[in-house]
Amino acid sequence: MDDIKQTERAGSGNGSLTGKAMNFMLERFPVEKMNFHYMFEQKEVPVHSMSWGYYTGGLTFFFFVIQVITGLFLIFYYQPTVSDAYLSVEFINNHVSGGSLIRNMHAWSSSAMIFFAMLHLLVTFAMKSFVKPRELTWIAGVILLFITFTFGFTGYLLPWNQIAVNATKVGLQSIEDVGQYLPGALSTLPQVLRETFQGEASVGQSTLGRFYALHVVILPLALSALLGLHLFQVQLHGMSRGVDEKPKRSEKFFTAFFFKDLEVWALAFFILFCLALCIPFESFLPFPLLAPYDPLGATPAGIKPEWYFFFVYYPLELLPFWVILLASLAAVLVLFLTPWIFRGTSRKTLRFIAVLAAAYLFVMTVFGQAIYEALKS
Amino acid sequence: MIKMDVLAPGILLWLFAVILSGPAEVQAYPQFQEFVEKRSKQPVNCAMCHANGNGPDGQKPGQTGGLNEEETKRLEQARTAFEKGVEVESPILNQFGNEIVRSLGRKKVIALIREPEKLYDELPAGSDIDGDGVPDRDEYLDGTDPTNKFHASPLKLLFINLNQFKMHVALAALAIFSINLGLGHLIKGISLLSRKRA
Repeated sequence: MDDIKQTERAGSGNGSLTGKAMNFMLERFPVEKMNFHYMFEQKEVPVHSMSWGYYTGGLTFFFFVIQVITGLFLIFYYQPTVSDAYLSVEFINNHVSGGSLIRNMHAWSSSAMIFFAMLHLLVTFAMKSFVKPRELTWIAGVILLFITFTFGFTGYLLPWNQIAVNATKVGLQSIEDVGQYLPGALSTLPQVLRETFQGEASVGQSTLGRFYALHVVILPLALSALLGLHLFQVQLHGMSRGVDEKPKRSEKFFTAFFFKDLEVWALAFFILFCLALCIPFESFLPFPLLAPYDPLGATPAGIKPEWYFFFVYYPLELLPFWVILLASLAAVLVLFLTPWIFRGTSRKTLRFIAVLAAAYLFVMTVFGQAIYEALKS
Repeated sequence: MIKMDVLAPGILLWLFAVILSGPAEVQAYPQFQEFVEKRSKQPVNCAMCHANGNGPDGQKPGQTGGLNEEETKRLEQARTAFEKGVEVESPILNQFGNEIVRSLGRKKVIALIREPEKLYDELPAGSDIDGDGVPDRDEYLDGTDPTNKFHASPLKLLFINLNQFKMHVALAALAIFSINLGLGHLIKGISLLSRKRA
């Protein structure tokens, strides 16, 4: 509906580059639609077989809010120094009222946020929600996903235990390893990047300080700004149709869909509360990895990144580094250029690609270790 | 002149004590660790029973080279606990290690080296040092930390804690439902008011 109107309006611009750029921006930011009536009262959500996909973005946002609230509580007690970080986490767990529950909610919701961010990306891809005029919404979403991953990477170091520090070392080393495949002056860029993040010769106080600053100030600010743009675009352009056939009916965003969204969030909060109350997130890790980091001790066995990096971690363990580097570069390029690469692709094909990608992510995350052991033996 | 029939049992007892208490360097028993790693498919280290994750040998806290006079005394006392029921506080063992020595005695522990799977049957069923609800002997088989209440088999913890916190869960469900119901009505009210005004 709105897509067609937007497309028609695109033809009215003049041929110069400035004119095209102006038209591009006007179509993505139509001033006449920037009002409460259009963005809330008039907004409708199509009802069809893929309608569940409309809730994935809201759930990602909900878990981000949980992250912010629980993170603020943790800041009261967490000490970002190598001597006290581990002890402060122990203190939160054992001596602060409700501390272990809050910390568990933070850990569980971080995983949930990343899970729903990935699911949201796959669903919007399958529903072809990236086509004109929603290219900027898509690109902002992809950057948001990368910021979310960086949140996970920086947050992993903060407890300062064996797995935290050793996994961060491996991660930072991987950044530096990219340099050997880059030409000329570019080859030193990854090393500079690593040194900037690390702050000193090895992972230490400077690294912890920088990761903490990134995790609690820089990334939340960047994410909030981009999230604002993303949500503004979603409200401005409305929900995409999502399916090929014309939906038989639609419902008002406010109040019908918003109310359902609240119900889903309530259910998500209840599940999160039960999980945080009953299963400490750390119980999934072998206990030697939870010991305080000992710079003079041997690296314990079983160092791995968080589950949401398994899709790249296990291939890295099995294949040459340059293969993974090329594949990752290609995947990132395809992600950013999706609105232009797949604009003519049918939803059926997009759905097939999304299912394949989901299957790959599932297999690598759940069976990655078994595949690795089978291929290595 | 000392008679041999009086001396022989004394010598035997001394030999027995020397053999079981081990040489100056403390003997760790990696057989238990190897069994648990194989069974649970989880990396396990000496911290399961020892105070230091790198084992009892070394100069760090919880290792033989890092003990003070009082700790050395406690270690010597623990070394003589051959029979079960003796309260021990060995500084090189953690709570679980000391509990094993207390409930089995060192003689039995050494006898189990060749059959580490039988340690499960020998450990008291009701012992749960960290109070997480999972018995220590189950944690031994699962390769989880028996001294950390936040570490045990996730599935076992789920059922134990769900049962323990069922009132919390019920109250949370009630609170979330009430808030949701209230918010829903508030939104509907605002919507009705705005429609009336329009």
